[in-house]
Parts: sequence; structure tokens; C-alpha cells
Amino acid sequence: MNGPGVTSPGPLFIRDRGWGMKILLIEDDREAANYLTQALEEAGHTTHHASDGDTGYAMATGMDYDMLIVDRMLPRRDGLSIVEGLRGAGDQTPVLILSALGEVDDRVRGLRAGGDDYLVKPYAFSELLARIEVLARRSNPAEADTRLQVGDLILDRLSRKVERGGETIVLQPREFRLLEYLMKNAGRVVTRTMLLENVWDYHFDPQTNVIDVHMSRLRGKIDKGYASQLLHTVRGAGYVIRE
Amino acid sequence: MNRFFALWRTTTVRLTAVFIAIFTVFAVALLAYLAFQTSVQIQRQQLGAIDREIQQILLLDMRGGVRAVAFAIDRLADRPGPGIYYLADASGAALAGNVSVFPGVVLAQPGQYELTYERGLEIYGGTEDDALTTGIAVVRSIELPSGLRLVVGRDIGERQDFTGIVFNTFLWGALAIALLSVVAGGVTARRVLRRIDAITGTSQKIMSGNLSERVPVTDRNDEFDAVATSQNAMLDRIEQLMAGLKEVTDNVAHDLKTPLTRLRNRAEAALRDSAGDAERRAALEATIAESDQLIRTFNALLLIARAEAGTPSGALAEIDISEVVSDVAELYAPVAEDAGITIKVAVEPGITMNANRELIGQALVNLVENAIKYLPEARTDGGEITLAVRREGDDDVIEVADNGPGIPEADRDRVFERFTRLETSRTEPGSGLGLSLVAAVVRLHNGTVQLEDNAPGVRAVLRFPQR
Repeated sequence: MNGPGVTSPGPLFIRDRGWGMKILLIEDDREAANYLTQALEEAGHTTHHASDGDTGYAMATGMDYDMLIVDRMLPRRDGLSIVEGLRGAGDQTPVLILSALGEVDDRVRGLRAGGDDYLVKPYAFSELLARIEVLARRSNPAEADTRLQVGDLILDRLSRKVERGGETIVLQPREFRLLEYLMKNAGRVVTRTMLLENVWDYHFDPQTNVIDVHMSRLRGKIDKGYASQLLHTVRGAGYVIRE
Repeated sequence: MNRFFALWRTTTVRLTAVFIAIFTVFAVALLAYLAFQTSVQIQRQQLGAIDREIQQILLLDMRGGVRAVAFAIDRLADRPGPGIYYLADASGAALAGNVSVFPGVVLAQPGQYELTYERGLEIYGGTEDDALTTGIAVVRSIELPSGLRLVVGRDIGERQDFTGIVFNTFLWGALAIALLSVVAGGVTARRVLRRIDAITGTSQKIMSGNLSERVPVTDRNDEFDAVATSQNAMLDRIEQLMAGLKEVTDNVAHDLKTPLTRLRNRAEAALRDSAGDAERRAALEATIAESDQLIRTFNALLLIARAEAGTPSGALAEIDISEVVSDVAELYAPVAEDAGITIKVAVEPGITMNANRELIGQALVNLVENAIKYLPEARTDGGEITLAVRREGDDDVIEVADNGPGIPEADRDRVFERFTRLETSRTEPGSGLGLSLVAAVVRLHNGTVQLEDNAPGVRAVLRFPQR
């Protein structure tokens, strides 16, 4: 309908912002850093790199970034201490913590230090990309909207009603949360692990296709019988809801 | 000398020494009391005899006068024995008796005395040679109504000899007791030391690498045997753990090397000149899938290791396990339904437990996924998984039951071991770690897990005792 860049509300505005992120990557493994920098640039994000904690902290405080990707174990200054330092100084830039430590405790410690998300190594790049784009969205005021809309699909967060093209769609409570999460991040790819984390609050890797089956049921309810498909599968990455 | 000090340091020897000391003190006290009492008794008898003789002489003095008294004293004095007699006139000059002389004060002052005397210089008869003896005596001196002075006494040398004998006997006896105790203590200590040396010797052999060594157990059934038995049981457990560890290491090597080899082969195949773009792409995708599976196996191993080491208590919190179980049922219901399986829930609401929600959830997921994996091969329809939570007495019980193929009884313990995959399931994808993780999680929560026959199918019973 509307072309990109126009004053269209919602997804398109966010998409523009998301593509243009300025990211600081603090990671001491040279090879991983090169790969990530290149992949992020290809995805349209300007990426700066620091290879130790002190330099990283200096860069993070000296320049204005849209997103920080911080490795947890760094030479000179620990990743968690960087995040704590920034938060202590009132810096609210979204932070994704990367770590080889994947225990629940480690995750909790990372988030308590001020991290916005926590990704365990090794990870797929698609997972990292999906997470930072959703994090960038999080700092957008649309987060607090009580009414989410994608095309003719409307979700009311207060009355917990969903309708498409004026027709009410009946959803199970969990399906409602699933759709809510997808619509909050409309236009952004969300991965299966992100769905399991945010909708079910479990942090393990789903081995079977549990999430896919839930998604196909949801699709059956919101897309079946309608001319346009809103819920799309992104091969090798996850799902996206968009017009 | 060193050996002596080594012996002295042992508890047995010290205890023995303490017992010898205590025993000796008691023996001395007992014997001393005995000797004293005997001596007192003898003295009382002697004094009694003296009194009786004095009474008789007093009677004689009243009836027969001085002559009769002197006659009687002479007769008494002639009798052999410990008796001492002395009769003097008011001036102190001897009239009769068997004692040569008495100090004037004894005669002048009636009463009881203990004194040394010279015996044998009898006034009437007897020879001087055979009777020249001195002695120690207890005497009573009185004044007879006739004005004569009478001294009657008993030699107490015998009494003192007796005390001496008792004392000597006691001294030698005590010495003998002490000596025997030392010998007995030493022998006991040596025996104890030998038993302990056997235990420490075994420990040293084990420390130097021979894990199959065991502490010898005698048929005496004493405390050392109790220690040895429990130590042997501990060694059995350690040996078993070591064997388990070795098996795990071998399995890790096998189960990680196999996919790593496949990974490498695929990468090599993709590099081959003859490979087309599509083939390369397929090979790379397969490589990623393979490495994801490897990462999963690795994560599962780490999680099991962490759970077995026991996470800090901070990771445990009061959680509603009824809710966790319901959530898992809800999460898997669609997948199960697609496979023709119904998930039934029999959950008592509001059962809480001090637990790690992620780990309990993961364990349940593993059990449910297992059931979903094996149910369809056993039945084409009517597959059922039942998730239950209930409180049984002091235990919280979680059950995951299915009506699938079941697990042969012989394999039910084995499936909890790492990398165990029953032959029937070798062809299925999986790491063989699912149930090991369940077992580790349950152990971390101080619970037990058991596989029971669900006739048909299998029922995993997770039991968590509440404090």
C-alpha cells in the first residue's frame, strides 16, 4: 500500500529504523568479530568493532549507538561490568549479551546486569539478527500500544479480542500471546527460540517441531480463507507477520 | 625407640595406660583400707583380751589377796605368747611378771600406753639367754585396790608384721598387675595397629593406582570389620563410578567423533571440483544441521554434568509444578495430535515445590518427546500420553505415562545411563541423552525416577520427597 519512507505508522517506520542501525560489537575473538561485522553490514547495519573491554566501554560512552553486542568474557574489562557501567551512567542503549555460558543462572545474571537479551554461543547468525532487530523495536514507543494492527488484522490487548476484516477470531490464551508477540514485532523476523522464550518462558532448544505446529494452527485461524497471507515462514530463520 | 613412640601415640596404648593408672589407684586404696581395718580389728581384740585378764585379776585380788595375784601373774607370765604382765608394789618394785622394767610413769599413772619393752628378765625363773628380746606392746596399767600396781599388755609386733606382710603382698601384686597390664596393653595395641596398618596399607595401594584392592575383613565382626566393610563398600562405589566415567568418556568420544567425521566428509565433498553449486549448497546445509545436532548433544552433556554436580541453591525457587506440567502438556498437545496421540492431563492444582523450573520443564519435555517418538510405531491409533501431578503423603509425584511399546524390564535402569540407546531405537534420531538428563535433574532435586510397566506402555514416575 504505502511505499517505504512515507509517514506510514507501524511496521514500515520501524523497518527503516531497524535497517539503519549503528551497532557496536565488543568481541575479542577476531574471526568471529570479522564474520559478524561483515554479516551485519550485509544486513544493512553500520558496525564498529572493539576487541577488548576497556576500548569497548570507551567507544560505547563516547559515541551514540543504536545497539551494543557485548561478549561476556573479554580481556581487560568483563562484558557484564561494561553493561553495568553504562546502565549506571543512565545509558539505555539496547544490549545483547553473547556468552558461552548458557545456564539459567548465567542468563539471569546477564539480564540483571542490564542486558536486554542473552544469546548463547554457538548461535546462528539469523538468530542474532532477529534478536537485535526486535531489541531495536523494543525501544520504540509502539511497545505500549493497546491496539496492534497488521493489515486488516487487529488485536486489542485490553479486551483480548482479535478480529480480521471485522470478523472475530477466537484464540486460545496461548495463541493470543503468540499472536501478540508476533504483532508487537510486526515486520521483524522472530525465531523459534524467541517464541519459546517469550511465549512459554522456556530457554531450551526445541528439538521437535513443536513451535511450527503451534504456528500452523495459528495460521489456520488468522490466514485461512483470507485473500492475503499475513503470517510468513522465513526459511532457515523463523516467522514474520506483515502485510 | 621410634617404634615405641609410634606405639605410645596410638589411642589403644594411651587408653591402656590410663586404665592401668586408674586400676592401680583403686587397688592401692582397696588394699590400704583392708590392711587398716584388719589392724584396727586385731587391736580391738587385743585390748578386749587385756581388759578381760585385768577383770579376772581384780576379782582374784579381792578374794585371794596379794599372794594369789602374784601366783596368777606368774602363771600367766610363764605361758608362751604375746602376753605381757608386770606386778609391782606401791613403790614400783617388781613382784611378778615377764618384763624386766617399766618406766615409773606407766606405773604411777593408770591408763593405756604403747611402748617398747625388754622381755625375758623375769623375776622368777627362766634363763636370761633365751628371753632377751625387745618388743613393742600396747599395755594397760592400773592400781589394784590392794595398792599393788598391775600392767597387762600384748605384744603388737605380730600385728605390725601382719600389716607389713599385707603391704608387701600389695606392693608386689600391684607391680605384677602393672607389668601384666603393660604387656597386655602392648599386645592389644600391636593388634590394633596391625589392623589399622592393614587399612592404611590398602588405602596407599589404592592411591598408587590399584583400585581393585580391598581391606581384609576378618570373621570377628568387630568394629574394625565394620570400618573395613564400609570402606570396601565405598571403594566398590568409587570403582563403579570410575568405570562409569570411563564408559562415558568412551561414549563421548564415539558419539561426538562420528558426527564430526560426517561433518568433515561433507565439507570435503563440497570442496571437490566436480561438485556443482546445488550440491555445494546442500552439503553446507547438511553441515550446519550436523553441527547443530552436535551442539545439542554437547549442551545436553554439559547440562547433565551441571545437574549432577548440583547447581547452587540460588537456582532453586518455589515453583508451581502443576503449572509447569500443564504448560508442557499444552506446548506438546498440537505436535502429539498431528501424530495421532492424545495428551491427557491429571494434575492436582497448586502443587508447589522448591525446584528449578527450566530443568524440570526440560526433563518433562524429554519424557514427552520420547513418548511421541515411540508411540506411533506401536499403535496407529489410540495413542495416549498421560501427564499427572499429585501429592502422595510427603512426596510430590510427577508421572508421564504412555500406552506405547514399553521398555523391557531388563533395560529400564540402563536407559538412564548416558548414550544408552536401545537397539530398537538406533535408527531414530537422538543422542541417547534424554533420559540421562531426566535422571540427573531428578537427582539434583533429591528425587527418584523409576520406569514402571503401564501395561501397555511405560510410566515414568518422578518422586520428590518434601522436607
